[in-house]
Amino acid sequence: MTRSKRVTSSHFDNKFREALSLWQEEVVQLDLVDPVTTEVVRLRCADHHDCYT
Amino acid sequence: MESSIDTFFREVLDDRTSVASQLEEIHGLAWEVIDSALLDLCRLRVAVLLHCGSELKISNSDLDSEKIASLSEWSSSSLFSKSEKACLRFTEEFIIDVSAIPDSSAFAVRECLGEKGFVNFVNALLVVEQRIRLQIVWRKIGEEVSV
Repeated sequence: MTRSKRVTSSHFDNKFREALSLWQEEVVQLDLVDPVTTEVVRLRCADHHDCYT
Repeated sequence: MESSIDTFFREVLDDRTSVASQLEEIHGLAWEVIDSALLDLCRLRVAVLLHCGSELKISNSDLDSEKIASLSEWSSSSLFSKSEKACLRFTEEFIIDVSAIPDSSAFAVRECLGEKGFVNFVNALLVVEQRIRLQIVWRKIGEEVSV
């Protein structure tokens, strides 16, 4: 399977992008899961989703 | 207007009200950045594939019943447009393995929606998919705790 760059820019709707960022910030600040586990899961998800931001 | 699913999330998240509010905000915006009928088709397909009954009971657009009934046969049905078929193919692959979506599927959606539309679609689909997966897990946990 080839997986080349699909877009020249990852820009999308500004309001939506800001809201997604705020949601992600809120989620990682939840304290029911310890910070190390949270970070391991976050990095694994980022890698799986090809997210480099 | 708050939906029954919004209420479910508020109850589960309890005093984590800001998380619940942010989830409602991104979910609402997902439906603003993409044609609601198109996203609703994809939402229903996700709900079917993941067996999420609560999502199948609701409608977020004015999709006609014939189209909904034919959703599992979208690839061979003439009821679905080229754009809908491209998005449904991408959706199914997104659900099965997001890291293995072939270029051909991604480029087909980009061709139909444009580059910005494609990025909006992927992010909207992510919100819809994650909200459904959260419901499935939390409803299951709720059932087990209440037994």
